[in-house]
Amino acid sequence: METRVNMRLFVVWLILVAITVAYLGIDRAANDHGVATASTAVTVAAICLALIKVRIIMREFMEVRGAPQALCRLTDFCVVLMGVAMLGVYLAGRAVA
Amino acid sequence: MTTTQEPLVVVKEQGTKHVPGQPDMWVFVFFESLVFTAYFCVYLYSRTQHERAFLHGQSQLLAWLGVLDTVVLLTSSWSMARCVQHARAGRYAPARRDAFLTAGLGFVFLVLKIVEWARLIHLGHTFTSSEFFQYYFFLTAIHCVHLLIGFVVLGVLVWKLSDSQEIVETCATYWHTVDFFWVLIFALLYVVR
Amino acid sequence: MMRPAILDDPKRELWLAWYATVGFYSLYTVVFFIITRTQPPGKPWYDPSQVVGWFAGRHDGLLIGFALIFVLGGLSATSLALITYSIRRMSVSRAFAYSYLILYAVAAVPGFLFICIAMTVGAMRPERSPALLQWLYDLGFLSFSGTMGVFLIGSLIWMTAILLDKNRVFPKWFGYLNLCNALTEVVVAPSWIFHEGALAWNGAIAWWINVVVFGLYTGAFIYLLRSMILREDFGTGPLPGLDSKVWRTIVPAEATV
Repeated sequence: METRVNMRLFVVWLILVAITVAYLGIDRAANDHGVATASTAVTVAAICLALIKVRIIMREFMEVRGAPQALCRLTDFCVVLMGVAMLGVYLAGRAVA
Repeated sequence: MTTTQEPLVVVKEQGTKHVPGQPDMWVFVFFESLVFTAYFCVYLYSRTQHERAFLHGQSQLLAWLGVLDTVVLLTSSWSMARCVQHARAGRYAPARRDAFLTAGLGFVFLVLKIVEWARLIHLGHTFTSSEFFQYYFFLTAIHCVHLLIGFVVLGVLVWKLSDSQEIVETCATYWHTVDFFWVLIFALLYVVR
Repeated sequence: MMRPAILDDPKRELWLAWYATVGFYSLYTVVFFIITRTQPPGKPWYDPSQVVGWFAGRHDGLLIGFALIFVLGGLSATSLALITYSIRRMSVSRAFAYSYLILYAVAAVPGFLFICIAMTVGAMRPERSPALLQWLYDLGFLSFSGTMGVFLIGSLIWMTAILLDKNRVFPKWFGYLNLCNALTEVVVAPSWIFHEGALAWNGAIAWWINVVVFGLYTGAFIYLLRSMILREDFGTGPLPGLDSKVWRTIVPAEATV
Protein backbone atom coordinates (compact mmCIF):
# COMPACT_ATOMS: atom_id res chain seq x y z
CA MET A 1 0.00 0.00 0.00
CA GLU A 2 2.67 2.42 0.99
CA THR A 3 4.84 1.60 -2.04
CA ARG A 4 1.87 2.02 -4.39
CA VAL A 5 1.09 5.41 -2.95
CA ASN A 6 4.71 6.46 -3.13
CA MET A 7 4.92 5.26 -6.72
CA ARG A 8 1.94 7.39 -7.52
CA LEU A 9 3.62 10.45 -6.04
CA PHE A 10 6.74 9.76 -8.08
CA VAL A 11 4.73 9.45 -11.31
CA VAL A 12 2.91 12.67 -10.49
CA TRP A 13 6.24 14.40 -9.93
CA LEU A 14 7.52 13.07 -13.26
CA ILE A 15 4.48 14.38 -15.09
CA LEU A 16 4.84 17.80 -13.48
CA VAL A 17 8.53 17.97 -14.35
CA ALA A 18 7.79 16.86 -17.92
CA ILE A 19 5.22 19.62 -18.38
CA THR A 20 7.70 22.11 -16.91
CA VAL A 21 10.45 21.05 -19.31
CA ALA A 22 7.95 21.25 -22.16
CA TYR A 23 7.79 24.97 -21.45
CA LEU A 24 11.31 25.23 -22.84
CA GLY A 25 10.00 23.97 -26.15
CA ILE A 26 7.15 26.48 -26.09
CA ASP A 27 9.58 29.22 -25.16
CA ARG A 28 11.86 28.36 -28.08
CA ALA A 29 8.96 28.11 -30.52
CA ALA A 30 7.59 31.42 -29.31
CA ASN A 31 10.71 33.25 -30.44
CA ASP A 32 10.14 33.65 -34.13
CA HIS A 33 13.63 33.44 -35.65
CA GLY A 34 15.10 34.54 -32.34
CA VAL A 35 12.86 37.61 -32.07
CA ALA A 36 10.31 37.64 -29.32
CA THR A 37 6.81 38.34 -30.57
CA ALA A 38 3.52 38.67 -28.76
CA SER A 39 1.34 35.61 -29.18
CA THR A 40 -2.07 34.84 -27.80
CA ALA A 41 -1.61 31.15 -28.52
CA VAL A 42 1.58 30.92 -26.48
CA THR A 43 0.06 32.88 -23.62
CA VAL A 44 -3.09 30.79 -23.50
CA ALA A 45 -1.06 27.59 -23.70
CA ALA A 46 1.34 28.72 -20.96
CA ILE A 47 -1.48 29.71 -18.62
CA CYS A 48 -3.53 26.57 -19.27
CA LEU A 49 -0.53 24.31 -18.71
CA ALA A 50 0.23 26.14 -15.47
CA LEU A 51 -3.35 25.65 -14.29
CA ILE A 52 -3.20 21.97 -15.16
CA LYS A 53 -0.08 21.68 -13.03
CA VAL A 54 -1.77 23.60 -10.21
CA ARG A 55 -4.72 21.21 -10.29
CA ILE A 56 -2.41 18.20 -10.25
CA ILE A 57 -0.51 19.64 -7.28
CA MET A 58 -3.78 20.25 -5.47
CA ARG A 59 -5.25 16.85 -6.16
CA GLU A 60 -2.17 14.73 -5.64
CA PHE A 61 0.31 16.56 -3.42
CA MET A 62 -2.28 18.44 -1.37
CA GLU A 63 -4.42 15.27 -1.14
CA VAL A 64 -7.60 16.92 -2.37
CA ARG A 65 -8.29 13.65 -4.21
CA GLY A 66 -9.06 12.01 -0.89
CA ALA A 67 -10.99 14.97 0.47
CA PRO A 68 -14.75 15.56 0.72
CA GLN A 69 -16.61 16.75 -2.36
CA ALA A 70 -16.89 20.29 -1.04
CA LEU A 71 -13.12 20.75 -1.05
CA CYS A 72 -12.73 19.10 -4.45
CA ARG A 73 -15.30 21.48 -5.88
CA LEU A 74 -13.79 24.50 -4.14
CA THR A 75 -10.30 23.81 -5.49
CA ASP A 76 -11.60 23.14 -8.99
CA PHE A 77 -13.61 26.35 -8.80
CA CYS A 78 -10.48 28.18 -7.68
CA VAL A 79 -8.50 26.88 -10.67
CA VAL A 80 -11.28 27.76 -13.09
CA LEU A 81 -11.67 31.21 -11.55
CA MET A 82 -7.95 31.90 -11.88
CA GLY A 83 -8.01 30.76 -15.49
CA VAL A 84 -11.05 32.79 -16.42
CA ALA A 85 -9.70 35.90 -14.70
CA MET A 86 -6.22 35.75 -16.20
CA LEU A 87 -7.25 34.78 -19.69
CA GLY A 88 -10.17 37.19 -19.61
CA VAL A 89 -8.01 40.13 -18.60
CA TYR A 90 -5.32 39.20 -21.11
CA LEU A 91 -7.73 38.87 -24.02
CA ALA A 92 -9.61 42.01 -23.03
CA GLY A 93 -6.30 43.87 -22.74
CA ARG A 94 -5.21 42.77 -26.20
CA ALA A 95 -8.53 43.88 -27.62
CA VAL A 96 -8.20 47.29 -26.00
CA ALA A 97 -4.56 47.86 -26.98
CA MET B 1 -19.55 12.76 15.11
CA THR B 2 -23.06 12.14 13.80
CA THR B 3 -24.04 13.68 10.51
CA THR B 4 -27.22 15.61 11.08
CA GLN B 5 -25.36 18.51 9.47
CA GLU B 6 -22.88 18.16 6.65
CA PRO B 7 -19.49 18.05 8.37
CA LEU B 8 -16.24 19.07 6.75
CA VAL B 9 -14.33 16.48 8.73
CA VAL B 10 -15.66 12.93 8.46
CA VAL B 11 -13.91 10.14 10.21
CA LYS B 12 -16.02 7.04 9.75
CA GLU B 13 -13.74 4.26 8.74
CA GLN B 14 -10.25 3.84 7.40
CA GLY B 15 -9.69 5.23 3.94
CA THR B 16 -12.67 7.60 3.96
CA LYS B 17 -12.47 11.18 2.87
CA HIS B 18 -10.88 13.69 5.19
CA VAL B 19 -9.87 17.33 4.85
CA PRO B 20 -6.07 17.52 4.69
CA GLY B 21 -5.03 19.63 7.68
CA GLN B 22 -7.11 22.39 9.21
CA PRO B 23 -9.94 23.59 6.97
CA ASP B 24 -8.84 27.06 8.08
CA MET B 25 -5.64 26.77 6.07
CA TRP B 26 -7.72 26.07 2.95
CA VAL B 27 -9.50 29.39 3.59
CA PHE B 28 -6.06 30.99 3.46
CA VAL B 29 -5.14 29.09 0.29
CA PHE B 30 -8.30 30.21 -1.45
CA PHE B 31 -8.06 33.81 -0.30
CA GLU B 32 -4.37 34.20 -1.11
CA SER B 33 -4.96 32.58 -4.51
CA LEU B 34 -7.51 35.27 -5.25
CA VAL B 35 -5.09 38.00 -4.17
CA PHE B 36 -2.32 36.57 -6.36
CA THR B 37 -4.73 36.16 -9.26
CA ALA B 38 -5.52 39.87 -8.90
CA TYR B 39 -1.78 40.65 -9.07
CA PHE B 40 -1.42 38.42 -12.13
CA CYS B 41 -4.33 40.15 -13.83
CA VAL B 42 -2.78 43.58 -13.23
CA TYR B 43 0.50 42.28 -14.69
CA LEU B 44 -1.19 40.67 -17.71
CA TYR B 45 -3.18 43.80 -18.48
CA SER B 46 -0.07 45.98 -18.28
CA ARG B 47 1.64 43.50 -20.56
CA THR B 48 -0.98 43.89 -23.24
CA GLN B 49 -0.72 47.68 -23.11
CA HIS B 50 3.08 47.76 -23.46
CA GLU B 51 3.80 44.66 -25.48
CA ARG B 52 7.12 45.58 -26.97
CA ALA B 53 8.63 46.87 -23.73
CA PHE B 54 7.55 43.77 -21.84
CA LEU B 55 8.85 41.44 -24.55
CA HIS B 56 12.18 43.23 -24.48
CA GLY B 57 12.43 42.94 -20.72
CA GLN B 58 11.37 39.30 -20.75
CA SER B 59 14.04 38.43 -23.29
CA GLN B 60 16.63 39.20 -20.61
CA LEU B 61 15.37 36.29 -18.51
CA LEU B 62 16.79 32.80 -18.80
CA ALA B 63 13.94 30.36 -19.37
CA TRP B 64 16.03 27.36 -18.37
CA LEU B 65 16.75 28.98 -15.00
CA GLY B 66 13.02 29.44 -14.48
CA VAL B 67 12.51 25.78 -15.36
CA LEU B 68 15.18 24.79 -12.87
CA ASP B 69 13.53 26.91 -10.17
CA THR B 70 10.22 25.21 -10.89
CA VAL B 71 11.67 21.71 -10.83
CA VAL B 72 13.36 22.43 -7.49
CA LEU B 73 10.10 23.59 -5.93
CA LEU B 74 8.11 20.73 -7.45
CA THR B 75 10.62 18.32 -5.95
CA SER B 76 10.26 20.05 -2.59
CA SER B 77 6.50 19.53 -2.85
CA TRP B 78 7.11 15.88 -3.61
CA SER B 79 9.25 15.44 -0.52
CA MET B 80 6.64 17.38 1.48
CA ALA B 81 3.90 15.00 0.34
CA ARG B 82 6.07 12.01 1.22
CA CYS B 83 6.73 13.54 4.63
CA VAL B 84 3.00 13.76 5.31
CA GLN B 85 2.52 10.13 4.30
CA HIS B 86 5.38 8.95 6.49
CA ALA B 87 4.08 10.95 9.44
CA ARG B 88 0.57 9.52 8.95
CA ALA B 89 2.01 6.02 9.10
CA GLY B 90 3.99 6.85 12.25
CA ARG B 91 7.34 6.70 10.47
CA TYR B 92 8.71 9.87 12.05
CA ALA B 93 12.37 9.50 11.16
CA PRO B 94 11.80 9.32 7.38
CA ALA B 95 9.19 12.07 7.78
CA ARG B 96 11.73 14.30 9.49
CA ARG B 97 14.27 13.54 6.75
CA ASP B 98 11.76 14.51 4.09
CA ALA B 99 10.90 17.71 5.95
CA PHE B 100 14.58 18.69 6.04
CA LEU B 101 14.90 17.77 2.37
CA THR B 102 11.97 20.07 1.64
CA ALA B 103 13.63 22.89 3.54
CA GLY B 104 16.91 22.20 1.75
CA LEU B 105 15.26 22.40 -1.66
CA GLY B 106 13.50 25.59 -0.59
CA PHE B 107 16.88 26.98 0.29
CA VAL B 108 18.27 25.96 -3.11
CA PHE B 109 15.38 27.83 -4.74
CA LEU B 110 16.19 30.89 -2.65
CA VAL B 111 19.85 30.78 -3.67
CA LEU B 112 18.92 30.39 -7.35
CA LYS B 113 16.59 33.37 -7.04
CA ILE B 114 19.26 35.53 -5.45
CA VAL B 115 21.75 34.52 -8.13
CA GLU B 116 19.21 35.41 -10.80
CA TRP B 117 18.45 38.77 -9.22
CA ALA B 118 22.16 39.52 -8.91
CA ARG B 119 22.67 38.68 -12.56
CA LEU B 120 19.83 40.91 -13.69
CA ILE B 121 20.94 43.80 -11.50
CA HIS B 122 24.45 43.39 -12.86
CA LEU B 123 22.98 43.73 -16.37
CA GLY B 124 21.31 46.95 -15.29
CA HIS B 125 17.78 45.68 -14.74
CA THR B 126 16.39 46.75 -11.42
CA PHE B 127 13.05 47.26 -9.69
CA THR B 128 12.78 50.73 -11.19
CA SER B 129 14.47 50.29 -14.57
CA SER B 130 11.42 49.22 -16.55
CA GLU B 131 7.81 48.26 -16.09
CA PHE B 132 8.46 44.61 -16.88
CA PHE B 133 11.16 44.42 -14.21
CA GLN B 134 8.95 46.24 -11.74
CA TYR B 135 6.50 43.35 -12.05
CA TYR B 136 9.27 40.75 -12.24
CA PHE B 137 10.94 41.86 -9.01
CA PHE B 138 7.60 42.48 -7.32
CA LEU B 139 6.17 39.01 -8.08
CA THR B 140 9.37 37.11 -7.37
CA ALA B 141 9.99 39.08 -4.17
CA ILE B 142 6.49 38.65 -2.75
CA HIS B 143 6.75 34.97 -3.63
CA CYS B 144 10.06 34.80 -1.77
CA VAL B 145 8.43 36.37 1.27
CA HIS B 146 5.92 33.52 1.17
CA LEU B 147 8.81 31.09 0.85
CA LEU B 148 10.57 32.55 3.88
CA ILE B 149 7.34 32.19 5.85
CA GLY B 150 7.34 28.61 4.54
CA PHE B 151 10.59 27.96 6.41
CA VAL B 152 8.93 29.05 9.63
CA VAL B 153 5.97 26.81 8.79
CA LEU B 154 8.36 23.89 8.18
CA GLY B 155 9.84 24.57 11.60
CA VAL B 156 6.38 24.26 13.13
CA LEU B 157 5.84 21.04 11.16
CA VAL B 158 9.03 19.45 12.48
CA TRP B 159 8.18 20.60 16.02
CA LYS B 160 4.71 19.06 15.90
CA LEU B 161 5.64 16.06 13.76
CA SER B 162 4.86 13.36 16.28
CA ASP B 163 2.12 15.32 18.11
CA SER B 164 -0.43 16.34 15.55
CA GLN B 165 -0.97 14.96 12.07
CA GLU B 166 -3.42 17.79 11.50
CA ILE B 167 -0.71 20.43 12.03
CA VAL B 168 1.65 18.47 9.77
CA GLU B 169 -0.94 18.44 6.99
CA THR B 170 -1.77 22.11 7.57
CA CYS B 171 1.88 23.08 7.21
CA ALA B 172 2.20 20.90 4.11
CA THR B 173 -0.81 22.63 2.57
CA TYR B 174 0.93 25.98 3.02
CA TRP B 175 4.13 24.73 1.43
CA HIS B 176 2.32 23.32 -1.62
CA THR B 177 0.60 26.68 -2.01
CA VAL B 178 3.98 28.40 -2.23
CA ASP B 179 4.90 25.84 -4.89
CA PHE B 180 1.84 26.33 -7.05
CA PHE B 181 2.11 30.11 -6.84
CA TRP B 182 5.57 29.75 -8.35
CA VAL B 183 4.22 27.46 -11.08
CA LEU B 184 1.92 30.31 -12.12
CA ILE B 185 4.54 33.04 -11.70
CA PHE B 186 7.03 31.11 -13.83
CA ALA B 187 4.53 30.71 -16.67
CA LEU B 188 3.55 34.38 -16.53
CA LEU B 189 7.01 35.92 -16.30
CA TYR B 190 9.11 33.56 -18.40
CA VAL B 191 6.82 32.04 -21.03
CA VAL B 192 3.75 34.15 -21.65
CA ARG B 193 4.17 36.37 -24.71
CA MET C 1 -26.86 30.99 22.12
CA MET C 2 -28.22 34.49 21.37
CA ARG C 3 -28.87 36.56 24.41
CA PRO C 4 -30.29 40.08 24.68
CA ALA C 5 -26.78 41.19 25.32
CA ILE C 6 -27.39 44.92 25.62
CA LEU C 7 -29.31 44.30 28.83
CA ASP C 8 -26.74 41.85 30.05
CA ASP C 9 -24.87 43.73 32.75
CA PRO C 10 -21.31 42.37 32.45
CA LYS C 11 -21.29 42.67 28.69
CA ARG C 12 -22.73 46.15 28.43
CA GLU C 13 -19.33 47.80 28.16
CA LEU C 14 -18.17 45.27 25.56
CA TRP C 15 -21.22 46.01 23.43
CA LEU C 16 -20.63 49.75 23.83
CA ALA C 17 -17.09 49.26 22.56
CA TRP C 18 -18.30 47.09 19.69
CA TYR C 19 -20.93 49.59 18.51
CA ALA C 20 -18.34 52.36 18.83
CA THR C 21 -16.04 50.27 16.61
CA VAL C 22 -18.76 49.94 13.98
CA GLY C 23 -19.39 53.67 14.35
CA PHE C 24 -15.73 54.48 13.91
CA TYR C 25 -15.24 52.43 10.75
CA SER C 26 -18.43 53.84 9.27
CA LEU C 27 -17.26 57.36 10.03
CA TYR C 28 -13.85 56.57 8.55
CA THR C 29 -15.39 55.27 5.32
CA VAL C 30 -17.80 58.18 4.93
CA VAL C 31 -15.18 60.83 5.74
CA PHE C 32 -12.36 59.46 3.60
CA PHE C 33 -14.33 58.21 0.61
CA ILE C 34 -17.27 60.57 0.41
CA ILE C 35 -16.74 63.83 2.29
CA THR C 36 -13.05 64.48 1.79
CA ARG C 37 -12.58 62.20 -1.22
CA THR C 38 -9.00 61.56 -0.17
CA GLN C 39 -9.60 57.89 -0.96
CA PRO C 40 -9.05 56.70 -3.66
CA PRO C 41 -5.84 58.72 -3.25
CA GLY C 42 -4.81 61.61 -5.47
CA LYS C 43 -2.32 60.89 -8.22
CA PRO C 44 1.33 60.84 -7.17
CA TRP C 45 2.51 62.31 -10.47
CA TYR C 46 0.59 65.58 -10.14
CA ASP C 47 2.69 68.67 -10.55
CA PRO C 48 2.18 71.57 -8.13
CA SER C 49 -0.49 73.29 -10.23
CA GLN C 50 -2.52 70.09 -10.43
CA VAL C 51 -2.21 69.66 -6.67
CA VAL C 52 -3.60 73.18 -6.23
CA GLY C 53 -6.57 72.09 -8.33
CA TRP C 54 -6.94 68.91 -6.24
CA PHE C 55 -7.15 70.91 -3.03
CA ALA C 56 -9.48 73.47 -4.60
CA GLY C 57 -11.88 70.77 -5.72
CA ARG C 58 -12.08 69.37 -2.20
CA HIS C 59 -11.78 72.53 -0.08
CA ASP C 60 -14.98 72.29 1.96
CA GLY C 61 -14.98 68.50 2.11
CA LEU C 62 -11.47 68.39 3.52
CA LEU C 63 -12.19 70.94 6.24
CA ILE C 64 -15.54 69.51 7.30
CA GLY C 65 -14.62 65.83 6.96
CA PHE C 66 -11.38 66.02 8.87
CA ALA C 67 -12.95 68.26 11.51
CA LEU C 68 -15.30 65.35 12.15
CA ILE C 69 -12.30 63.03 12.44
CA PHE C 70 -10.55 65.36 14.88
CA VAL C 71 -13.64 65.36 17.07
CA LEU C 72 -14.70 61.73 16.76
CA GLY C 73 -11.48 60.00 15.76
CA GLY C 74 -10.93 58.95 19.35
CA LEU C 75 -13.54 56.27 18.72
CA SER C 76 -10.72 54.33 17.11
CA ALA C 77 -9.51 53.63 20.63
CA THR C 78 -12.55 51.43 21.28
CA SER C 79 -11.72 49.22 18.34
CA LEU C 80 -8.17 48.86 19.58
CA ALA C 81 -9.32 48.22 23.14
CA LEU C 82 -11.74 45.51 22.10
CA ILE C 83 -9.12 43.71 20.04
CA THR C 84 -6.63 43.99 22.90
CA TYR C 85 -9.33 42.60 25.22
CA SER C 86 -9.81 39.67 22.83
CA ILE C 87 -6.09 38.91 22.88
CA ARG C 88 -6.03 39.09 26.67
CA ARG C 89 -8.90 36.60 26.76
CA MET C 90 -6.69 34.13 24.88
CA SER C 91 -4.49 31.58 26.60
CA VAL C 92 -1.33 33.29 25.34
CA SER C 93 0.87 35.69 27.27
CA ARG C 94 -0.51 39.16 27.95
CA ALA C 95 2.58 40.52 26.22
CA PHE C 96 0.82 39.89 22.91
CA ALA C 97 -2.09 42.10 23.91
CA TYR C 98 0.11 44.92 25.17
CA SER C 99 2.41 44.82 22.13
CA TYR C 100 -0.57 44.98 19.79
CA LEU C 101 -2.08 47.88 21.72
CA ILE C 102 1.13 49.89 21.70
CA LEU C 103 1.91 49.21 18.05
CA TYR C 104 -1.50 50.18 16.74
CA ALA C 105 -1.83 53.17 19.02
CA VAL C 106 1.55 54.43 17.77
CA ALA C 107 0.75 53.56 14.14
CA ALA C 108 -2.43 55.64 14.29
CA VAL C 109 -0.38 58.84 14.43
CA PRO C 110 1.48 58.58 11.12
CA GLY C 111 -0.93 56.15 9.50
CA PHE C 112 -4.15 57.95 10.23
CA LEU C 113 -3.73 61.40 11.78
CA PHE C 114 -0.95 62.79 9.58
CA ILE C 115 -3.09 62.76 6.45
CA CYS C 116 -5.92 64.51 8.31
CA ILE C 117 -3.58 67.21 9.58
CA ALA C 118 -1.65 67.65 6.33
CA MET C 119 -4.76 67.93 4.16
CA THR C 120 -6.53 70.25 6.58
CA VAL C 121 -3.48 72.54 6.66
CA GLY C 122 -3.40 72.47 2.88
CA ALA C 123 -7.09 73.27 2.52
CA MET C 124 -7.04 75.96 5.19
CA ARG C 125 -5.10 78.51 3.12
CA PRO C 126 -5.63 77.86 -0.61
CA GLU C 127 -3.33 80.82 -1.41
CA ARG C 128 -0.26 78.93 -0.18
CA SER C 129 2.49 78.39 -2.71
CA PRO C 130 1.83 75.38 -5.00
CA ALA C 131 5.15 73.82 -4.00
CA LEU C 132 4.13 73.93 -0.35
CA LEU C 133 0.73 72.45 -1.16
CA GLN C 134 2.45 69.65 -3.07
CA TRP C 135 4.65 69.03 -0.02
CA LEU C 136 1.57 68.66 2.18
CA TYR C 137 -0.08 66.43 -0.43
CA ASP C 138 2.95 64.12 -0.54
CA LEU C 139 3.26 64.08 3.25
CA GLY C 140 -0.40 63.18 3.65
CA PHE C 141 -0.50 60.34 1.15
CA LEU C 142 2.92 58.90 1.83
CA SER C 143 2.34 58.79 5.58
CA PHE C 144 -1.06 57.17 5.07
CA SER C 145 0.20 54.48 2.71
CA GLY C 146 3.86 54.20 3.46
CA THR C 147 3.80 53.59 7.20
CA MET C 148 2.26 50.17 6.89
CA GLY C 149 5.24 48.50 8.53
CA VAL C 150 3.87 49.11 12.00
CA PHE C 151 0.45 47.74 11.11
CA LEU C 152 2.14 44.76 9.50
CA ILE C 153 3.88 43.78 12.75
CA GLY C 154 0.61 44.30 14.64
CA SER C 155 -1.19 41.90 12.28
CA LEU C 156 1.54 39.32 12.76
CA ILE C 157 1.27 39.62 16.54
CA TRP C 158 -2.48 39.10 16.40
CA MET C 159 -2.00 36.18 14.02
CA THR C 160 0.54 34.48 16.27
CA ALA C 161 -1.67 34.97 19.30
CA ILE C 162 -4.66 33.43 17.51
CA LEU C 163 -2.69 30.44 16.23
CA LEU C 164 -1.21 29.71 19.66
CA ASP C 165 -4.45 30.34 21.53
CA LYS C 166 -6.12 27.35 23.18
CA ASN C 167 -9.19 29.31 24.30
CA ARG C 168 -10.67 29.38 20.78
CA VAL C 169 -11.40 33.11 20.98
CA PHE C 170 -11.10 33.39 17.20
CA PRO C 171 -11.22 30.68 14.54
CA LYS C 172 -7.83 29.79 13.06
CA TRP C 173 -8.86 30.97 9.59
CA PHE C 174 -8.93 34.50 10.94
CA GLY C 175 -5.37 34.01 12.15
CA TYR C 176 -4.40 33.14 8.58
CA LEU C 177 -6.40 36.10 7.28
CA ASN C 178 -4.16 38.28 9.44
CA LEU C 179 -1.26 36.88 7.45
CA CYS C 180 -2.98 37.79 4.18
CA ASN C 181 -3.57 41.30 5.51
CA ALA C 182 0.02 41.59 6.70
CA LEU C 183 1.34 40.52 3.29
CA THR C 184 -0.73 43.15 1.50
CA GLU C 185 0.82 45.68 3.86
CA VAL C 186 4.27 44.53 2.70
CA VAL C 187 3.14 45.25 -0.82
CA VAL C 188 2.52 48.92 -0.07
CA ALA C 189 6.19 49.56 0.77
CA PRO C 190 7.22 50.30 -2.87
CA SER C 191 4.81 53.27 -2.94
CA TRP C 192 7.71 55.33 -1.55
CA ILE C 193 9.59 54.69 -4.81
CA PHE C 194 7.03 54.80 -7.61
CA HIS C 195 5.16 57.89 -8.77
CA GLU C 196 2.97 55.93 -11.15
CA GLY C 197 1.98 52.42 -11.99
CA ALA C 198 0.57 49.54 -10.00
CA LEU C 199 2.89 50.09 -7.04
CA ALA C 200 2.36 53.83 -6.60
CA TRP C 201 0.31 54.95 -3.61
CA ASN C 202 -2.82 54.96 -5.80
CA GLY C 203 -1.82 51.91 -7.84
CA ALA C 204 -3.84 48.82 -8.69
CA ILE C 205 -1.71 46.65 -6.44
CA ALA C 206 -0.63 49.05 -3.69
CA TRP C 207 -4.05 50.62 -3.20
CA TRP C 208 -7.00 48.94 -4.95
CA ILE C 209 -6.25 45.29 -4.15
CA ASN C 210 -5.04 46.32 -0.69
CA VAL C 211 -8.27 48.14 0.09
CA VAL C 212 -10.37 45.14 -0.94
CA VAL C 213 -8.33 42.85 1.31
CA PHE C 214 -8.39 45.38 4.15
CA GLY C 215 -12.15 45.85 3.80
CA LEU C 216 -12.81 42.12 3.95
CA TYR C 217 -10.40 41.76 6.86
CA THR C 218 -12.07 44.59 8.80
CA GLY C 219 -15.53 43.16 8.12
CA ALA C 220 -14.33 39.77 9.32
CA PHE C 221 -12.90 41.03 12.59
CA ILE C 222 -15.90 43.22 13.37
CA TYR C 223 -18.10 40.14 12.89
CA LEU C 224 -15.78 37.92 14.94
CA LEU C 225 -15.51 40.45 17.77
CA ARG C 226 -19.30 40.38 17.98
CA SER C 227 -19.17 36.58 18.03
CA MET C 228 -16.58 36.71 20.82
CA ILE C 229 -18.76 38.99 22.94
CA LEU C 230 -21.75 36.69 22.45
CA ARG C 231 -19.70 33.70 23.58
CA GLU C 232 -17.85 35.47 26.39
CA ASP C 233 -18.19 33.79 29.76
CA PHE C 234 -15.64 35.94 31.61
CA GLY C 235 -13.61 32.90 32.54
CA THR C 236 -10.04 32.11 31.62
CA GLY C 237 -10.64 28.84 29.81
CA PRO C 238 -11.87 28.05 26.31
CA LEU C 239 -14.82 30.06 25.14
CA PRO C 240 -17.97 28.06 24.46
CA GLY C 241 -18.26 26.79 20.88
CA LEU C 242 -18.70 29.09 17.94
CA ASP C 243 -22.31 29.30 16.76
CA SER C 244 -21.89 28.20 13.18
CA LYS C 245 -22.64 24.52 12.65
CA VAL C 246 -19.70 24.23 10.31
CA TRP C 247 -17.30 25.04 13.11
CA ARG C 248 -19.14 22.89 15.62
CA THR C 249 -17.95 19.85 13.72
CA ILE C 250 -14.37 21.02 13.92
CA VAL C 251 -14.23 22.17 17.51
CA PRO C 252 -14.43 18.61 18.94
CA ALA C 253 -11.41 17.63 16.84
CA GLU C 254 -9.43 20.61 18.14
CA ALA C 255 -10.52 19.95 21.71
CA THR C 256 -8.88 16.54 21.67
CA VAL C 257 -5.44 17.96 20.78
